[in-house]
Amino acid sequence: MLPDPSTTSAAATSTGATTPAPASSPHDEFRRLESGLDALQTVPPTERGPFRRALDGVLPPVLLLVALVCAWQFYTVVAEPRPDLYPGPLNVAAAIGERWADGRLQQAVATSIARGGAGFLIAVAIGTPLGLLLAEWRLLRRALGPLLSGLQVLPSVAWVPAAIIWFGLTDATVYFVVLMGAVPSIANGLVSGIDHVPPQLRRVGTVLGASRSQLATLVILPAALPGYLSGLKQGWAFSWRSLMAAEIIAMGGSIGFGLGSMLQQSRELADLPAVLATILIILAVGILVELVAFAPVERRLLRRRGLNPGAHR
Amino acid sequence: MNTTTDAPIAAPATPVAAGTTSHAPAIRIEGLGKRFGAAGPVVLEDIDLTIEPGEFVCLLGASGCGKSTLLGIIAGLELPTTGTVTVTSGSAAVMFQESALFPWLTAGRNVELALKLRGVPRADRRAQVLDLLDLVNLADAADKRPHELSGGMRQRVALARALAQDRKVLLMDEPFAALDAITRDLLHEELERIWRETGRTIVFVTHNVREAARLGQRVLLMKSRPGRIANEWRIDDTGPRRIESPEVSRLSVEITDQLREEIRRNAS
Repeated sequence: MLPDPSTTSAAATSTGATTPAPASSPHDEFRRLESGLDALQTVPPTERGPFRRALDGVLPPVLLLVALVCAWQFYTVVAEPRPDLYPGPLNVAAAIGERWADGRLQQAVATSIARGGAGFLIAVAIGTPLGLLLAEWRLLRRALGPLLSGLQVLPSVAWVPAAIIWFGLTDATVYFVVLMGAVPSIANGLVSGIDHVPPQLRRVGTVLGASRSQLATLVILPAALPGYLSGLKQGWAFSWRSLMAAEIIAMGGSIGFGLGSMLQQSRELADLPAVLATILIILAVGILVELVAFAPVERRLLRRRGLNPGAHR
Repeated sequence: MNTTTDAPIAAPATPVAAGTTSHAPAIRIEGLGKRFGAAGPVVLEDIDLTIEPGEFVCLLGASGCGKSTLLGIIAGLELPTTGTVTVTSGSAAVMFQESALFPWLTAGRNVELALKLRGVPRADRRAQVLDLLDLVNLADAADKRPHELSGGMRQRVALARALAQDRKVLLMDEPFAALDAITRDLLHEELERIWRETGRTIVFVTHNVREAARLGQRVLLMKSRPGRIANEWRIDDTGPRRIESPEVSRLSVEITDQLREEIRRNAS
């Protein structure tokens, strides 16, 4: 057995005679002890400055992009391929500049983003209550769940012919296709977010005396937020893809001039630089929306919960 | 059949216990039995137990003896198959092995949520949160999120949250089992002090004999399959004792011997 604790501590601090400890109550002593252990057990966060973080995030992709464009330009200069079949970066840039100058580019981007955004918001408005119903109502989930998962796999472009027959060449066609693409992702994301709420958190909510509605709004929904957000991200991706597919196939009528239409128009003119230019712009809009709208929200959400995305070094 | 919990959201100060007689127990369990499913194994059998107000009771047993199930039934999270459980003051506060703090809320907000669900008006909550966190020596950590706290600190926030419920009975399900020995030792002291300050009735489930001998006024040893109460020790309360002390060691040896005997019975 251990010897009397008071003698051990006296022996251990035999040099303590020169540094007398401040007189304090046992409770204060205990609090100091506990605070000391807390300090030992918590690692101070090594937060890097916002500038450094931005640099770390922005520099690698930008460098890669510059390298790719340089390689491409190098190839066109050295191999001198036919410019109508293998245009160089400069031809593509010129095509972009031309479309910017006559205003078609701005119009196409604005039309597509407005439609994609509106379609996405409608999809959120439908998919969210649907996901809630599916998560809470078991029978509905058994009946509708497989169908919804199937719809998520079905390429929504498959709906375009049917939509054109139903709605003609109108915006309704475009929105229908976008919704068929995005709603299942959003609903399924919410369902899986709710499924992954740790049962312990529900138990705590119950123990704390939460009513059914309080449990839903104060415990389950906040806990399901990360899953819901990744459903939203996927929903946006499906919206944007479906929109482009619809715009490429359904042109004319009362459908406005979007990026998909611009792509299809360039193809009809066999204008490869313009085709490539449009593809790059579609890609850029997708990346920009992810970077501006989703990434910051997701990063904040996960950091606050101690789930740092890509933090492992 | 039924868990009698009169007025589940009753104010904790309702003098149900004090009003009747001076000798109303805090928890009364009679003829309690539990099996999972109609043909499932019997988990608990013939549990009769009376816990007095302000008692610190440790429920001790090997894994699978049903001690956590018993706690869950007292908490009202599970229903007994037979018998009755009466928590005189209404419902009980519960603390689990995992702190189960809500990861999207700060430590302070976690405690505040318990106050909010109890119906404490918003204006009073902030001050009460700080008082409760100060009780577990974490007033400085109110704005920290659970992932920024150590395991011991998280359990102390969970303790503050359980105290925020302001129930007379506090049920604890192996709350310190996942902590290192040094932290656990400090939390024993913390818990004992809070128990003495607040006068709560504590039922503390553990599989750690020394922990039970260190903390409990009463130690109940449970045997397994079916879970029953095998023996009971009452420890004279002569003020705080340390886990290294000879009396805790002596009691631990005695309890461990019997615990081993109970476990040996399960050998085929």
